[in-house]
Amino acid sequence: MSHDSTLTGSEQNLTIFKGMIHSARLRRIGLALGASSAMFLSGCASNAPQDTWQPKGENAEKINTLQWMVFPLAGIVGVLVFSLIGYILWRFRDKGQAIPHQSHGNPTIEITLTIIPALILSVVGVFTFRGIFQLAQTNDTQMVINVTGQQWWWEYDYPAQVVNGVEIAQPIITSGQLVIPTGTKVLLRETSRDVIHSYWIPALNGKKDAVPGRINLLRIQANKPGIFAGQCSEFCGLSHANMRMEAVALSPEDFATWIANQQRNAESPAQATLADEGETVFLNQCIRCHQVNGLKKADGTAAIAAPDENVYAGAAPNLTHLMSRNTFAGAAFDLLTDGCRKNVWSAAPEEFGAVYLKGVIADCLNQTNIRRWLRNAPAMKPMYANPVKLEASDGKYRGMPNLGLSESDIDKLVAYLSTLK
Amino acid sequence: MAIIERPTPADTISLRMPVTPAQSMGIVRRPVTSTGWKSWVFTVDHKKIGIMYGVFAMFFFIVGGVEALLIRLQLAAPDGKILSADLYNQMFTMHATTMIFLFAMPMAAAFANYFLPLQLGARDVAFPRLNALGLWLLVAGGLILNSSWFLGGAADGGWFMYSPNSGPVFSPSNGVDFWTIGVQIAGFGSLVSSINLIVTILNMRAPGMTLMKMPVFCWMIMVVQFLLVFSLPVITVALVLLTFQRSFGATFFDVAQGADPLLWQHLFWIFGHPEVYVLILPAFGIISEVLPTFSRKPLFGYPFVVFSGASIGLVGFGVWSHHMFATGLGPISVAAFSIATMAIAIPTGVKIFNWTLTMWGGKIWYSTAMKFAIGLIVLFTIGGLSGVTHAVAPSDTQQTDTYYIVAHFHYVLVGGMVFGLFSGFYYWWPKVFGKMLNEKLGGWNFWLMVIGMNMTFGPMHILGLQGQPRRMYVWTEARAGEGFFNFGFWNRVASLGSFILAIGILIFLINVVHTARKGKPAPLDPWDARTLEWITTSPPKEHNFDRIPVVHHLDEFFHRKYQENTTTGEMVQIATGAQLVQAEEDNADAHIHLPSPSYWPIAIAVGVGTLGLGVVYGVPIMIVGVLIILGSAFGFVLEPSVADDIDYDPPMSGGQDTKELAPLG
Repeated sequence: MSHDSTLTGSEQNLTIFKGMIHSARLRRIGLALGASSAMFLSGCASNAPQDTWQPKGENAEKINTLQWMVFPLAGIVGVLVFSLIGYILWRFRDKGQAIPHQSHGNPTIEITLTIIPALILSVVGVFTFRGIFQLAQTNDTQMVINVTGQQWWWEYDYPAQVVNGVEIAQPIITSGQLVIPTGTKVLLRETSRDVIHSYWIPALNGKKDAVPGRINLLRIQANKPGIFAGQCSEFCGLSHANMRMEAVALSPEDFATWIANQQRNAESPAQATLADEGETVFLNQCIRCHQVNGLKKADGTAAIAAPDENVYAGAAPNLTHLMSRNTFAGAAFDLLTDGCRKNVWSAAPEEFGAVYLKGVIADCLNQTNIRRWLRNAPAMKPMYANPVKLEASDGKYRGMPNLGLSESDIDKLVAYLSTLK
Repeated sequence: MAIIERPTPADTISLRMPVTPAQSMGIVRRPVTSTGWKSWVFTVDHKKIGIMYGVFAMFFFIVGGVEALLIRLQLAAPDGKILSADLYNQMFTMHATTMIFLFAMPMAAAFANYFLPLQLGARDVAFPRLNALGLWLLVAGGLILNSSWFLGGAADGGWFMYSPNSGPVFSPSNGVDFWTIGVQIAGFGSLVSSINLIVTILNMRAPGMTLMKMPVFCWMIMVVQFLLVFSLPVITVALVLLTFQRSFGATFFDVAQGADPLLWQHLFWIFGHPEVYVLILPAFGIISEVLPTFSRKPLFGYPFVVFSGASIGLVGFGVWSHHMFATGLGPISVAAFSIATMAIAIPTGVKIFNWTLTMWGGKIWYSTAMKFAIGLIVLFTIGGLSGVTHAVAPSDTQQTDTYYIVAHFHYVLVGGMVFGLFSGFYYWWPKVFGKMLNEKLGGWNFWLMVIGMNMTFGPMHILGLQGQPRRMYVWTEARAGEGFFNFGFWNRVASLGSFILAIGILIFLINVVHTARKGKPAPLDPWDARTLEWITTSPPKEHNFDRIPVVHHLDEFFHRKYQENTTTGEMVQIATGAQLVQAEEDNADAHIHLPSPSYWPIAIAVGVGTLGLGVVYGVPIMIVGVLIILGSAFGFVLEPSVADDIDYDPPMSGGQDTKELAPLG
């Protein structure tokens, strides 16, 4: 075999390919590859809720198609290159042969090996190009939601519009869960009130940054009812890890029900109940930042929250329909007990709407989470709520401070919050 | 024996001399006869400076490595409790900053400083005092960066330090101030050093060494220095703007004042992407020396490797926005940068093929250096292929800011860069220290690093594609999923792997200590090498070469040892390396001039560091810093490159007689 070193370049080239075709080792590698990809696919059946390979809507499917082109291609190239390297390492090991001929290369092989990757990448490039422009398309949008990020939660603001024949007469402001109708092309208009965040529901589309001072567009669509997990994916400071998202897709009929509920104002609880006392605590404390639509002060005038005076971003979650959503504090914590949460996440598409629209009923309320939060919010989720550190932000909080509530106040507040269906 | 002497005084030469003063105008005598630590601190010898770069870089490699282990401990299980959110954010910021600015770049500078003059057949770099200045500025920057740990907390904005999160409101501690100033000062050091190395390569090659006969390592270092010269000013501008915003109330990145946060991202990545090639190309250069040596064959397609390196450098300036595919650039920009990013894969692929085909038909010697070089080819290829998957911009919007990206760039930087540097350690250790690193420990070192690195970063591909984002101080069971791909299992594997990787690196350190104590003295040509650095003693003499070699071939040293039998075509050995070195000694040049040590480079660096601290701690300290800089700069420019007679103790007699300035051999 040692005479190979004197072969011309094209002969050498031929030998490479012959060697590869006849290599039993290569066939074994092929088998192993097949087995491992089978394992990969079977593994996909039960995996993380933020899996990027399980699209549940149009744009995510387009991305997935591109992934299924480029990943196997990269895999095949990798296997070929590694097989060649493995073969060379075995074949040309030092077996005491003479110092080889000092050949400096072969331009034909060089140019061939430059053109082949260039051709492969051109093909990938064409499909990529097409994909980029398809994904940027927004002119057939059927619904608009304004999505605003701030440290460390997302606000969803539904402007007045008609969706699938259902009118949203009053704008809806919510947080915790993004609720959309299935089969509808929804345009998210993203921005931020402080630093850069990134909105990402892997099952519905890739991520798009929410940049202060800009409005970025992200189009999502869900094929079937269900709940989809997401996570802020641009580093946004202290509690970046606790800034999560959940998107909920409801059938158009269920969505109409959801809208009807969201359009209601909150009603005050019956007099002389624990919840009524809770409303007073709310008016003394929480109203400084958190709006509840329809809430009135003792003198009968409307109670208006002023988060801009207390929070650096100038916003705090609107709590009017807190118990219609399953999470709080930037979707970092569940309002549902573990069992009830599991019911929602595992509901089949046809029954999902009914399960979700029940909201947080009394038996399902996660008392531990909500009480811990009211007792000392920054201990549960790191936030800039230490007055010593607020000099730079003019004394305004970034996040929710420890309110120093007594246990009885907490009892009352939980009773009141439970009425905010 | 060669004689190192001072040059003839200027007045005896009729040619016009450069305008440098003939006498030191400083108030202190030059440290010409220093011994001990002073002979290191005030040195301008490129070899000593190279070793100091190496020691500095290795120290911070360990610091950055400990930071990495803490990160992996925190993430080994859900809701990790080892680090607080605040500390974790500081930890990943400083891990990246340390590894990039205080390990990777200095270690590449160590190799470049030590081996460029040796491979080029030169006695030193073009500007020896600037060389020392570059080192000491880097040290000042590194100390300032890390002093923040003890002065109120380190920077917490990520190494990319995106605005507005890096602004005074969102990062109120002094950490970001220390960071901007430390990186700026280290950047000045790199800039000074890069200009020096460019001039060295272009002007100081041995007679006969045309650019296309220059070793590939020198080529890659030259490409890197040009990348630095063009990219460092951009980050410096960005850092100055940020410093002014944080320390002096400017509003460059304040959105409320109409700023666009994307300005920072563009500036950062116009630097940051070429920086990626700054990190990897020196490693490419190293293995382009190692692979031919241990395959006993020239590099396959030398001109292709050179030009692919240069084109990587060039195209590297046109792909920065692929870090910003999710920022809302609009489809036209995204498409353009997506295609440009794919284009850069082509010259990179050329390099992989050329290295692979260098081994084809060779006679491969599996030394530790060679194992690391082969490791680089394989692991870098994995990183390169995952890179192609996010050149597809839509696919990248699912992958960016997830662990898939972390996996990608660690395959490129650990599998690529670090393996290349380790290949260089094993290859050149005998040259620098005159002793052979232990090959058996080297084998353990290599295999543990291969296993550890794949266990650490391999699972991160899975974690990323399963949707685990980066830079999160905790991950939660609620998003972990079940089955084969759940977060829990793969995070544990990654954390376990990181400790195996750490043990691999620890074995290298043990090897270093073992070699220093009991290592075998290195033969003059232990690897049957190919380039000029081996045509002198190990370690090289202060003046590098007894005689400046005249170059006729690429791989000059090899061709002096072997000749082709014209009838059979076989390579026949005509001389050993030791014989060649002896021949050089026998024909030593009679007159060798070397620059003299100087106080001023380190003094300027102290001034710059003080000025930097002044930006954080107030104007009086700034004034002190400026005064030190001004005084030292005057001293710097007003001293001749070679020490005057009166600098010696006792003063030299003057005139034209030859004096030895340093012990030889």
